[in-house]
Amino acid sequence: MSEDLAELALKTVQRLGASYADVRHVSIETENLHVKRGNPEEIRKGAFAGLGVRAIAKGAWGFAGTTVLKRSSAIETAKKAYKVALASARAKKTDVKLSPTAPKKAKYSTPLGKDPFKVTLGEKLDALKAAERTAAAESTELIKTSSSFFRAYRERKLFLSSEGAKIGQTIVWCGGGVSATAIRNGDVQVRSYPASFRGNFNTAGYEFFESLDLAGHARETAREAVQLLSAEKCPPTTTTLLIAGDQLALQVHESCGHPTELDRALGTEADYAGTSFLTTDKLGSFRYGSPKVNLSADATTPGGLGTFGYDDEGVPAKNVPLIKEGLFVNYQSSRETAAMLNLPEGSSGGMRADSPLAMPIVRMTNINLLPGDWKVEELIKDTQDGILMLTNKSWSIDDRRLNFQFGTEAAWLIKNGSKEKMIKQATYTGITHQFWGSCDAVSNDDWHMHGTPTCGKGLPAQVMYVGHGVPTARFRNVRVGIA
Amino acid sequence: MSPETLSGIARKAVKLATKKGADQAQVTALTLVEDLTRFANSQIHQNVATIKEGLSVRVILKKKVGDATIGALDPSSVETAVSNAIKIAKVSPPNELFKSLPEPKKYTPLKRTFDRKTATCDPNLRADNAKRAIQIAHDKAPYVKAVAGSYMTGSAGFAVANSLGVDAKAQVSLAQMAVTVISEKEGSEGHGYYYECARNMKEIDVDKVAEKAADKSVKNVQPIRLEPGEYEALLAPDAVALSLAYISNGFLGTWFQDGTSFVKYNLGKQVFHETFSLKDDGKDMDTLYVSPVDGEGVPKQALALVKKGVVSEKSICYDSYTGGKEGKPSTGHALVPFFEAFGPGPDLVNMVLEPGQASEEEMIKETKRGVYVSRFHYVRTVNQPRMILTGLTRDGTFLIENGEIKGPVLNLRFTDSFLDVYKGIQMIGKDRERQPMASVPPIKVNKLRFTGVTEQ
Repeated sequence: MSEDLAELALKTVQRLGASYADVRHVSIETENLHVKRGNPEEIRKGAFAGLGVRAIAKGAWGFAGTTVLKRSSAIETAKKAYKVALASARAKKTDVKLSPTAPKKAKYSTPLGKDPFKVTLGEKLDALKAAERTAAAESTELIKTSSSFFRAYRERKLFLSSEGAKIGQTIVWCGGGVSATAIRNGDVQVRSYPASFRGNFNTAGYEFFESLDLAGHARETAREAVQLLSAEKCPPTTTTLLIAGDQLALQVHESCGHPTELDRALGTEADYAGTSFLTTDKLGSFRYGSPKVNLSADATTPGGLGTFGYDDEGVPAKNVPLIKEGLFVNYQSSRETAAMLNLPEGSSGGMRADSPLAMPIVRMTNINLLPGDWKVEELIKDTQDGILMLTNKSWSIDDRRLNFQFGTEAAWLIKNGSKEKMIKQATYTGITHQFWGSCDAVSNDDWHMHGTPTCGKGLPAQVMYVGHGVPTARFRNVRVGIA
Repeated sequence: MSPETLSGIARKAVKLATKKGADQAQVTALTLVEDLTRFANSQIHQNVATIKEGLSVRVILKKKVGDATIGALDPSSVETAVSNAIKIAKVSPPNELFKSLPEPKKYTPLKRTFDRKTATCDPNLRADNAKRAIQIAHDKAPYVKAVAGSYMTGSAGFAVANSLGVDAKAQVSLAQMAVTVISEKEGSEGHGYYYECARNMKEIDVDKVAEKAADKSVKNVQPIRLEPGEYEALLAPDAVALSLAYISNGFLGTWFQDGTSFVKYNLGKQVFHETFSLKDDGKDMDTLYVSPVDGEGVPKQALALVKKGVVSEKSICYDSYTGGKEGKPSTGHALVPFFEAFGPGPDLVNMVLEPGQASEEEMIKETKRGVYVSRFHYVRTVNQPRMILTGLTRDGTFLIENGEIKGPVLNLRFTDSFLDVYKGIQMIGKDRERQPMASVPPIKVNKLRFTGVTEQ
């Protein structure tokens, strides 16, 4: 049925005269579980399906989408996409051109151990209750809120294009987390595991959630929340900063992921998310970071939240270096933006839409900081005076992705090569290229994938799931303790 | 789909759930039309037309609660969603904090919230409006380099029914236009932005939006660096509205109960300046998403969030679940289930800040040395109980000296407690502007702490 409707929509828009068209039939299943203070706060399953038609007519884009999955609606949606494209042509300066990609007939599925949707709700809720109760038990007096979460997502999509592509994909991801909030005299301190904002997620089966062992980490998580109440505040100073993966993932996301998106650099997000300091004249020549810094956009990383077989233009998953030994060497791109810059290798394969009702835009896949030469313990031992920050708490960066400020849940003062004491309200700030230029060491023994399922971009607003493979890294002369 | 049709679907689904054994059931049916023409580099580059329909079902079996959503409204999908919700409830542990779905209460439907022409606007009209805005901006100065923005039209309608007799519905049409203008002089860029929203596209003044954005942009080229520090600040309505979006979290029942709300630690205290009075009122026609009822069909109450700078327990908004935890009734602030981006709970989307008496010119005149902030960008909460926010300025930041706009400055980062910032209000503007979640005037404060500067 889904294939029939998609083909009907494609034929309809082609018959009308579209010079290019593609159709996505997508169905999405979701499961959200949340246990808070001993109660099942949310037990929700969702299902959503729709058809999206993208067309070029008279050299301009049109897109229409619907959740009404009937033949008449498929035809109507195709006609609407064509009509919208003609309307776009009323205010165009240049015709849309697409870089070539071989039309594939292919299938891809996330490799799964246990299907997270087949594991019973009871089993998942038992795991969440055990974690949440363990966290709460750490201090009945000071832990005022304890929560645990599970989330699973499955997307089945069929992509057809007027060039002959026919690609079926099933993407599955899941994960979760546990958090504890300790409060005393208006001082609120939160600790989370394995990351803040509801945890960590991988494209994987239920075995990934099990591997997190929330219950096994809940006590330490809650204990640190309580310890933070008695900790000193992060001092305002300029120092050596070590950043653990659960914070560095977001640093990479905001200060490398977004500015290397070619649509931002070309100005098409100027009205909302913003542009990029990595303007096209800097490609291949701009020193973004120190020689220790190697970053890539890799849609093939096992388990990454941005791992798939093909993007939403039918371009195969790629591993594209963005920053090579500190030098800015590539953008994340689409077929259209790659053609605008005549990129010889074409699209980087990063066009993604968050639903059948959304037009694909340039999106991060997995933006990874490649491992360096150090062990984490060596990094700490080698630091005479510094601060180690862990787990993101707040994040902010300007519209060109230069001036950033992050806050973390916890931090450790490092003196003479060892962690001296925990400190709270840790923040740090900087300018992107100066900050990455000050990176003098990257670890290799704690590199793993962090999932960010809430990346916002585009209008109408879209929320995408992306990944970041990162270890711990060290930065010199960083300003900390702003708030 | 009309609200009446949605209502029929919701009622039928409730009956079905009851027939299948639910002790209580609540169903929300929703339809959302979103057509958006987006432009950048002075041409249209994205143009979409979408229709989304869906159903959200909540079923209660004793204290066991099950929720299911489905993105369709046909009879078979309705049956699936109801069955799924019951299946979930059956295997769920009891939620001892759940009291009951809300009882029905009379409400008066709002008039003139829906304009068919706006809801079904032709894409050619949106394209022509985009083209017009681009032209107006370019006519402003030869060094206007690029025009970006969007023109959106559509509608949102929902109906909610429950097994206790709630049967409510609401519908609005929507139109929004935003324009960002980028100018460039001798390699230095200047940005300007303006935005309007309404329930009738006739109220969107395309010429004004383009003209205001272009005017700010051409004046914003060649900005100088202003050293970080504490400055007087004049916050334009866009900046005020974004700060309120974060401050308003402190009024949510969820934050209050979790102990993260600043209100909890300041009950009965004057935390803002006495001229600062803020309410949330879903029936105030100055706000965009007006509705007589919330996502559970409870009549929306006008809630005084801040009275002359003072916050209290009465400042807190609830849906039926969070209210039930404290033995309080809902204040009519449940989100419509499909808009619960961060999980269920109450939210504030109709905030109105009481205006003052000053014009923007008077506020500039009264500033000795300060910063004019057109917009804030990427605001985040650094410390919840102290409401410390960080973020940046964007699209038109200017230095004011001796009562005059001196010239543009590079965008600045601020990090400050907004309890302190709005305690230091010196003047409030007399003219409110409608933003998506709030209708607000400009505000002049005696200090805002800027902690960093961006580069060009």
